[in-house]
Amino acid sequence: MRSYGAMAGKYLKQQRKRTILTIVGIVLSVALISALGTMGQTLKDNLIQNTKYQDGAFYFGYDEPTPELYDSLRKHVLVDQLGYYRAGEPRPLDNSVDVTIAEADGDALQLFPIHLYKGRLPAAPDELAVEQWILERLPGSPGLNGSTQLTGPGGEPRDYRIVGILNNDKISQVNGDSLAFTLADPANMRIDAEAILLLTLKSGVDISDQIDDFTKLNSSLFTNNTLLAYMGESGDDNLNTALAVIFGTLIGLVVLSTVAVIYNAFHIAVLERVRQFGLLRTLGATPAQIRNLVLREATVLSTIGVPVGLLVGWFGLWCALWLMTQVGLKILMMETFELTFHWWIFAGSFAIGYVSVYLAAWLPARKASSVSPVDAAKGAGGIVRETYRRARIPSLLSLAGVEGRMASNNIRRNRTKFRITTFSIVISIMLFIVFHYFTQQMLTMTTTTNEADRIAFGLTRAAVADESGNAPAPGELIPDELVEEIGALPGVENVYGVYPSITFPSLVPETKLNGDIRTDTSVNYEKTNVGGVENNQVWTRIVIYDEAGLQQAAKYLHSGTTDPGKLAEADNVLLIQTIKPVLNNGKRKIMDLARYKVGDKISVWTNSGTPGEEPNIREVTVAGILTESPFDSPYQGSMLTIISAQTTFAKLLDEAAGEYPPSEYNAERRGLEIALQDGADAEPIRTKLQDIARSHPGSSLNDYAEHQKETRNFNLQMRIFVYGFLVVIGVIGSLNIVNTVQTNLLLRRREIGLLQAVGMTMGQIRKMATSEGVWFGVIGSFWGILLGVLMSSFLHKQLNNVQGFPFQFPWGASLIACAAALIVGLISVQGPLRKMEKANLLEELREEA
Amino acid sequence: MNVISVDGLSKSYGKGTTQVNALQDVSFQVNQGEFVAVVGASGSGKSTLLHLLGGLDKPSGGYVHIDGENLYAFKEKERAVFRRRKIGFIFQSYNLIPVLNVEENIQLPLLLDHRQPDKAYINDLIRTLGLHERRKHLPSELSGGQQQRVAIGRALAYRPAIILADEPTGNLDSANGREVIELLKLSVRQYHQTVIIITHDMNIAAEADRVLHLQDGRLQSDTRSLGRGV
Repeated sequence: MRSYGAMAGKYLKQQRKRTILTIVGIVLSVALISALGTMGQTLKDNLIQNTKYQDGAFYFGYDEPTPELYDSLRKHVLVDQLGYYRAGEPRPLDNSVDVTIAEADGDALQLFPIHLYKGRLPAAPDELAVEQWILERLPGSPGLNGSTQLTGPGGEPRDYRIVGILNNDKISQVNGDSLAFTLADPANMRIDAEAILLLTLKSGVDISDQIDDFTKLNSSLFTNNTLLAYMGESGDDNLNTALAVIFGTLIGLVVLSTVAVIYNAFHIAVLERVRQFGLLRTLGATPAQIRNLVLREATVLSTIGVPVGLLVGWFGLWCALWLMTQVGLKILMMETFELTFHWWIFAGSFAIGYVSVYLAAWLPARKASSVSPVDAAKGAGGIVRETYRRARIPSLLSLAGVEGRMASNNIRRNRTKFRITTFSIVISIMLFIVFHYFTQQMLTMTTTTNEADRIAFGLTRAAVADESGNAPAPGELIPDELVEEIGALPGVENVYGVYPSITFPSLVPETKLNGDIRTDTSVNYEKTNVGGVENNQVWTRIVIYDEAGLQQAAKYLHSGTTDPGKLAEADNVLLIQTIKPVLNNGKRKIMDLARYKVGDKISVWTNSGTPGEEPNIREVTVAGILTESPFDSPYQGSMLTIISAQTTFAKLLDEAAGEYPPSEYNAERRGLEIALQDGADAEPIRTKLQDIARSHPGSSLNDYAEHQKETRNFNLQMRIFVYGFLVVIGVIGSLNIVNTVQTNLLLRRREIGLLQAVGMTMGQIRKMATSEGVWFGVIGSFWGILLGVLMSSFLHKQLNNVQGFPFQFPWGASLIACAAALIVGLISVQGPLRKMEKANLLEELREEA
Repeated sequence: MNVISVDGLSKSYGKGTTQVNALQDVSFQVNQGEFVAVVGASGSGKSTLLHLLGGLDKPSGGYVHIDGENLYAFKEKERAVFRRRKIGFIFQSYNLIPVLNVEENIQLPLLLDHRQPDKAYINDLIRTLGLHERRKHLPSELSGGQQQRVAIGRALAYRPAIILADEPTGNLDSANGREVIELLKLSVRQYHQTVIIITHDMNIAAEADRVLHLQDGRLQSDTRSLGRGV
């Protein structure tokens, strides 16, 4: 030994178990912070990529540009890419669909969300990229690299070569208007109010700061809001602040827990050696030398723990995601899914790890250096001065007999240890609740996941006469056999019938209407006096679900039933009364329009469209309430939605014969929507459906399979992230609890040996230790839930600035976290106890404290 | 020559009705090379006196001068440095550092002072203490007597002027106890050190040059052995 400092290394080597526990604590914390950082960053990258794909990669654009604006933008030093885009007039093709040719320059083709399926983007003004579905309807039904003649953007007929095939867009198929792209001729670019300019700025430019200046150039500026928001560059400062606060809070929480875990591990290790430090003081060590010794230990521990933690974090995450994609989601081809490496996350985790260790070491080091040498010299027993507090209120643990009373005394005898242990459990629980809350909200905000996600094809049929002149009757358009035939195709998950829908006003009494609608939004429901009673006239969309649809609706049931049998009888209906209106401040918020309960009757006014007639009111009974719409968009803006069985719908239709003539309206199936299983091969289904459409006159097939797959993939990726996050948090939280509980117990081996020596049985010791564990769990859970919920509600306030939704108490997460904390706590005391049971009593007693 | 000078030394713990006067107005001087035994019943203030002489605790009143320096005029750090250079401690419970071996434990006071130990002296010391065979052993691998010899070695390592021993034989059998006392006496002779030893054992006290008898925190008597002392 060359210097007293070498003692630090000797301590660590000799106290191998303690050292390993401490290093494990550091490794876990650094792993946590680097894993979460990486996940967070990957999530952000993923969201940005997805937004660029969906909405385009441009930052902002102008929709009424002038040639002067174009010139000044071209010369602008901050502008990186500048795209020109101009859509022509929709040109009708023979078969009742339109095609619109848009010309775009090279930059615009990159910045615009164009989803190439096959081939390439146009590179000359006579080249064209078109949607897959329109291909066979173009003159001459060309294939890839084929030619067709179309009306160009300028109105002149022109020959085009098809060089690219684009993914089918749902809306373009529904509207029967397809967008095709060609390269703009630089010589003939017409910059006028019909054109659109799209821009990105050079990297490093603060976009949000520049938006005002760019608006001054031309007031028709529009921004790619979602992309800018994810980049933290939104023009809306409130949004940027809200996002900064949200991520700041989450990062702060993780850093706090990192510091806590490391502090915890280190503090206990130092605390137990205070006597040895005191001894050094009697030999003439100065306080500074003692501090140095502790900090030297910290250096050694962090030099091992921090790099290992970084590796564990990265590879742990990699393995977890790999396993998830291999085991659970093998069916999905997640080509785009990969972890992104960011040096700043590693550097940050590295720095936080080191700083935490030194911070965690500094306080115990100070304590160690200030320990009284007299106390140390006095020797035996009470090394750490334990301030036993007499409890004012007897602990509940006292009810658990002598072991409970011992446990209660143990818990209260050392305030610091109590605080550290509780804090460590509290932070684990809080972290889980807050992250659970946040990730769930993220999921709701970034993905709309309802049953519509799985719908890949739509088949509709109009009553068109066949060659023999026979038109099918309304009830025979889509026969049941056809539904069964399609349903039996491999890869098809469900086939839903498409039915007509009607809209009537409902008469909602003031007591049933949510008053916030009036105060917070500009929605104003007209008052109507029918039969001497004044009611609010609320527009209500009435739709039909078949059995397959109702089965899915059960997943969204808030109360009541979705049983098809119940809905078929006595005018029973399902109600969706949750809406997402635009608030007065321009934000959207999810809120309830009305306060109906199961069993309430809703008065539907079936002849409001024919003024002068005696109001015809029909009552339907609420049999079930759904939280959101299982199909279509999840929420209406200001309308109620009623889901009925065919029979109820037909009755309402009868009442409204004036407004909805039976010749045009009926309750019969007129189309199908086909939902696919994840990973199903759409091609054979597509071919089969095309055959069916051809053999049933009047049919048209809408193909959204590619788009559906992309959406579904994105949603699943988001879920993987969210659950990946939660798994990481859960594992780290659990290990933190294990570490704390086991350290606490292992460091008391001698004392437990003493208790055995005076006649306590191992069973009693087990009961005592278990009672302590449970009690720590209870106290930790109480504070964990309290702080977790407060923190979640704080995050909710911030998230509200982004998108409004009601705060829901995170019961699920709270319960999971508390149950897990208790179970983990209980399991983790078993190992050390078993070891003590096997150990030699005398050895334990002889062991130097 | 006075190496220790104690003047009106008092120490009390607690306040008001719970105040305990562990030491009251104790004064005496010790000459260099003296072997002094402090005796008294439990709670008479022996250990408190020893701690105050070693600068481990702070007195409530009075002064301790060592080699003419007022021990309690030093700052905390200076006192620590002074202690490791001038005073060696030996405790009843040995108080060795469990992770250091025999040799390292003995050298520790020198290392704390950033000094490289004088190899020849340390070897000599280890041999004198009869620990040569066990120089690489950890404290947990030694018997009580051996551990106490290591503690003595540590106290002698810096060749301090004063050795303070708090019941060094309390945990030892009579043969080992005897050996420890012989070693301490040897160091007084060989290195001309001053030894103050607390003991319950009147046989040990009888071998001392002087016996200080404490009772209820006061110095009851100060007896010089006949035919001994300076």
